[in-house]
Order: sequence, then structure tokens, then C-alpha cells
Amino acid sequence: MLSRNIRYACRRYSHAVTFRTTESSPTQQTDNQFGLFYTVNKDLCKQLYGHGGLPKSYMKQSKTFAETAIMVRRPALDIINCIKATDLNKPAIRYVLYGEDGTGKSMTIAHLLHYAFEEGYLIVHVPWVSDWLRRVLRHKEMANSLTREGLVDLPLDAAAWLLHFKTQNQHLLKSPEFIVSKEYVWSKREKTEAGAPLHELVELGIARVKYACDVVDAIVNEVKLLSNSKKCKTFVAVDGYNGFFNPLTRLKTPTKKKVAPEEVTLTTSILELTKNDWTNAVMVLSADSIANPDDDTKNYLPQHLLYRKGFDHLDPFVPVKVDRYTDREFLTCANYYRDRLWIRGPLDMETELKLTSACNPFKFMEQCAPL
Amino acid sequence: MPVSKYFSSSLHSVYNKNARQYSSSHKNTTNAHDINDQFTDWETLNKKKSISKPMKAYLERAREHDDFMKKQQIEYNIGKRHLTNMMGEDPETFTQRDVDRAIEYLFPSGIYDPAARPLMKPPEEVFPARKAAEFDEAGRPHHFLFYTGKPNFFQLLFDAAEHLENLHKFEDKVLRNKAIPEQKSKLDLSSGVWVSKDQLEIMLVETISDLEYDNFKLVMERLVSTPYSYRCIDFIEKFRKPLASQKFALEIPKPSFDEEGRAYITTYECLRKKARGDVTIHSPGTGKIIINGKDITYFEDIQSREQVIFPLIFTGLQNRVDVECNIEGGGPSGQAGAIRWGIAWGLRSFVDKSMLESMQVAGLLTRDHRRRERKKPGQPGARKKPTWKRR
Repeated sequence: MLSRNIRYACRRYSHAVTFRTTESSPTQQTDNQFGLFYTVNKDLCKQLYGHGGLPKSYMKQSKTFAETAIMVRRPALDIINCIKATDLNKPAIRYVLYGEDGTGKSMTIAHLLHYAFEEGYLIVHVPWVSDWLRRVLRHKEMANSLTREGLVDLPLDAAAWLLHFKTQNQHLLKSPEFIVSKEYVWSKREKTEAGAPLHELVELGIARVKYACDVVDAIVNEVKLLSNSKKCKTFVAVDGYNGFFNPLTRLKTPTKKKVAPEEVTLTTSILELTKNDWTNAVMVLSADSIANPDDDTKNYLPQHLLYRKGFDHLDPFVPVKVDRYTDREFLTCANYYRDRLWIRGPLDMETELKLTSACNPFKFMEQCAPL
Repeated sequence: MPVSKYFSSSLHSVYNKNARQYSSSHKNTTNAHDINDQFTDWETLNKKKSISKPMKAYLERAREHDDFMKKQQIEYNIGKRHLTNMMGEDPETFTQRDVDRAIEYLFPSGIYDPAARPLMKPPEEVFPARKAAEFDEAGRPHHFLFYTGKPNFFQLLFDAAEHLENLHKFEDKVLRNKAIPEQKSKLDLSSGVWVSKDQLEIMLVETISDLEYDNFKLVMERLVSTPYSYRCIDFIEKFRKPLASQKFALEIPKPSFDEEGRAYITTYECLRKKARGDVTIHSPGTGKIIINGKDITYFEDIQSREQVIFPLIFTGLQNRVDVECNIEGGGPSGQAGAIRWGIAWGLRSFVDKSMLESMQVAGLLTRDHRRRERKKPGQPGARKKPTWKRR
């Protein structure tokens, strides 16, 4: 029995290269950890990515592997270094991630979320914009906005997002500094007074779904004010940001009128948030061609994906390209899969996989799945 | 013109020679002198005894055949002399190869099948061998297996069994340390195959059934599988045909060199289905693949990518050459197939001979000539028929 275990272990680690780092805090990660996997704590994972944030296929895989291991990659390291070197008193800097499909933009955002969490940022994270604007179930809850004329509310989506916001920042929201600056009147009976804690506002949005969109708007304003007054620093992450600038969404009003993205209240709130007229904040946005499915030109450059409108809205920003795996990253990834017994067999398999997947992380993951 | 007599389209076979050898070893031949030497002298016996009727008929036929062959031989020789004169060469050194060349020169033929082109061969190659007398003048067969109907075939099996028995005996001896086997490795039969049924029939001058041919192969396989089978290699080799080593249709081109001193070779006309393109291979490279200005992501699906990289992985050159292709027309699978062939064809210049042969065996150097089949009127597809309905 023992000898079998030893044999098993020997075979498993016989050709292993270092592929894992024990440095599980992104704040401490440096170039030494480049290309290595680190494991995210399970509870933290649930808190940060519980309501979205990790790609679905990756979630499936991490469930199989019984751990969430994220590779430390160049764009994330670069942005972390930039954030460390930034003077937060200056207007917020916006980083726009771009790159081909499946190169790891969402994973970079997930990694940065972990960093922001460790650093004590207030996290405002939109997991996937197209979930709001393009994903239409049989009955998408829609309502005309009560407060803003001509706009459309997505109350359920907004409430779900508020829950996400609450779980991600549950420890911060408890602190007494987070209070509402002015009085919000929702109806004759319901109102939030100035000086009430912020989490009360969030709870109200979750409980009274009718006002969720307005609560989101209020929270955006409050977060901006709190940041400006140096009570907190804010980390904004929006995946698939270019979804806000598509010509049309797939939503339709009850009168069958097609809705443009700017006619949705959530869009206006998030766009308000991503202006750089406030300080003490970092924004990481991603421009993804998947969020722009009507366009089949395969062009992944932000200028093309954001359209003129979005480009002007974001200008100036720092573009960060997320590239395919380098040789070293590929090797560590393959070794990780081997360690998880996800791929087995002769070592020449890797060369073939490398060529067929063209070092694209998603393709590689996809191709290894049935092996 | 005596030559024209030999423009026969009858099939000739190189195995005829073998056939004669084999059958002569079994004392069967048409040559009258041999018969006189080996068999009973029928002329002297004729005076004393009466000849049986079948023998008489046979002798008549044999004489006719011999006369015919003699005549043919004379005509062939005359024709050859004429050819020598026409070509203006020395008759002493004019061989059969020269005859073939002269015929090809004098009678150029566009006929597709080589067997149907004009030829002039010695008569023994043109006219099939015939069985010699199998019985003496008294009507008694020479061969002890005559009444099997296929004496040569069963003689062959008989011989094989005898060899097998000898080998077993030898093996026993070796086991008892009474004999020492030669230090020779096992018989290597990878370079050939057993003669086909048709060839064996020509060798034996007898027709055999499929079952009998299978039995022949079975016996020979058993003979080969014994440990000291090399001792009867002469017997085995008689029934083996060497695998024709594949000749590559074109000689392998030498690569040219660009200004950086890198060897490169371009294969034009890489075709598959409707795709047309060209492939350039640069020899010291890093494994870059460029297809119409993009990398391998030009192909979306994995199958096409596999097609493209297969020759590189097969030869193990995936990190040592750069590939550049221009391809147009057709769909992804056609384009990938065309590129695959182009890469393999270009890689011939950069691999050694054994690899070349294994590439050939792997089918990398074979063009795929299949095209889309046309749709037929009255049915929904090329082969698809309408759903059958009773009424």
C-alpha cells in the first residue's frame, strides 16, 4: 500500500516543474511569482466571486480540481505595480483590458479583485455587463423608471447586483464611517435619512426591489462622495464594459420598442461611476469582443469595440493588453493540469496541444477537458 | 516485317523465368532433349512395346509446340537482327534492353496501359509455359502425386513439410547440444511479401483454389516462424516477392538560400478539394506558422489545425522550421489539407531517407484527389435517394 502510494507520488511529480506558489496574497506577489498558480481561499472565493466574477467554464474546472487556482500573469502584475505607484489623490486612473477571446481578461479582473480585497478597497464590481443588457430570459423584469423620465429599470438585476455588492464588501460596510450623506425619499412612507449607515440603503434596495435601480444610483453617488472625502478607497471593475456602447440591447419594452443601452438606468449609473471626476479610486474595465456579438470582424482593439462614444467617455485611459500564454506560462499550466491528473499520457502531447491551442488559455483549457 | 509478329498484347511476366526454374526442378519441361535425358527413351521402347494412346497424343502435341517455339525463336532472332541494323548498333552487344528501347523509339505509343504498347520479347516470355509429359509411354505417371490432379502444388507443400521436419530435428539437436546454430539473427522478412495467387499459379503451371493458396501461405508462415528458419532461406525466398521500394515521383529538389543564408523551399500548387495555394518552408526556424498573414488561428476548428501541424509533428521539426502559406478557395478542411500536403512535400528536402519512407507510409506524400461529387437529378444528393414510400 505504502509502496504504491510512493510510486504514485513519484510518477505524479517525476517531471514536475514548479508551477505553484505559496504566496497567496496578491499584494505580496512580484515578478518571482510570474507564471505560477496560487490558490484562493475557499471562503474568500465564495465572498468575492459568489455572484459572478469567474468565467463559467473556469468555475466548472475549479470545482473539478477542488480548488480555485489563478495564474499570476503579466497584465495583473503590471496593473498591481501601477496601482501601488499611483497617487490616489489625483483623478482616478482607468485601465482598459483588451485582447483576443479567451486570453484571460476576466481572470485578470478576478485576480485584481482579490488584490483590491486584500488592500482594503471598497469593491464595486460588475461581473458581466451583457447579463444586464443582452441576456433576455423568457420574462425579463422590466419597468419604466419612476424617477427618470424615458428610462427603463431592471429591478431584479439591480437587486442581484446589490446583493453582490453587499457580499463583496460585507466587512467594510459594517464600519461606522460608511453613512449616507443626504436624505433619499422613496415614497410617502419609505425614506432613508441622512446619516443612516450605507448597508441600510443596500438592504432597502434588496428588500424593496422596486427601488433597486434608484438605490444603485444613490450608492454610486455615495461611494463617490465617500471616496472623495478619503473615507475609503474604491476599486471599480467592470467586465465587458463595451456592452454599454453597443447600438442596441436585446431588451424590448412592452410596446416592442427596442431599448438602447443608454436608456437603461443601470447604464447611466455605471457610466457616471466610470467618469474620472473623482479621486481615491482605481478602475479596471475590460473591452471584450464577446460583449459585442453583432460584430464579426474579430477586431479586439478598444477603439473598435468601444465605438467613438465609449472611447471619448473613457479618454484618457491606460490600455493593457492581455496576451496568450508565453512558453513558460504554457509549461506551468500544462504541469498544473498534469498535477491535477487532468491530462495524462506522453509528454509529446504538450507540444501538440501547444500548437493546436495556439497558446490560447481558453482553448487550451477546452482541449484538455476531454483528455 | 518480322518484328510485327511480336506486337502481341499478351501479358508477359517476369515470373515466367521463375516458373521454368521451378518446374524444371520437378523434371517437367517441354524440351525434347531433356525428356530424352530424363525419361525413358520412348523411341527405342517404341520398337518393342506399343505406346499408350494418351502418350501418343501428347507426343504429337509436344512436337508441334516445340516446332512452333523453334520457329518463333528464329523469327525473334531475325527481328532482333533487323532492329540492330536499323539502330546501327553492334549485334554482339545488342541485349533485350536495347530491343525494348529500340521498340519504344521506333513505335512511340500513347496508349495508357503499358501492357498494351508494342513489344518484342523472346518467345518463351510471350507464350506461357506448358506442362510437360507426366506419364511414360506405358501410361504410368512419373509423379507420385499425379492423381491429386495438382502434383506440383502438393509437391510444394510436401517439400515445405519436409523442411519443417528437418528444422524441428535441428532444433532438438541444438537443445541437446549436439549441433551449434550459426550465429545468425532471425530471418528478416519485412522487406517482402508472399507471391500472389496468380504468380504462384504461373510458377507451378497449375491452377489452385483460394483455399489451397491459403494453405500454402499457412504452411510457409509456419516454416518461417520456426527459430532456425534461416537454414532453408533458399526455399523460402523462392516464394517471396520484394516489396517495390517506393520511388518518389519527382526527385527531391535542393533548397535555395535567401539573403540571410536560410534554406527555403516553396511548393506551388498545393491542391485539395477547391483550395489552391503555395507553401514555403524556411529551414532554420523557430516553429512559426503563418497562413495568409495570420498564425494558426486562421483555422477556427481543431481538426484543421491538427491537419496543418501533423507533418511537422510527425517529422519532429515543429520547432526547427518556419512555414509560410498562401491559400485561397475552398473551405477550411480543404485549405488545411492542401497546406498539410504542401508542408509534407516541402519537408522532403529537410528530412533523411528513413523518415521520408515513413512519411510515405503515413500517407503524407500522397495527394488526395477526391472532389465533391455532383448532385444527380431526380434525387436529393449525390447518392441520397428520396425516402422510400410504398405509395
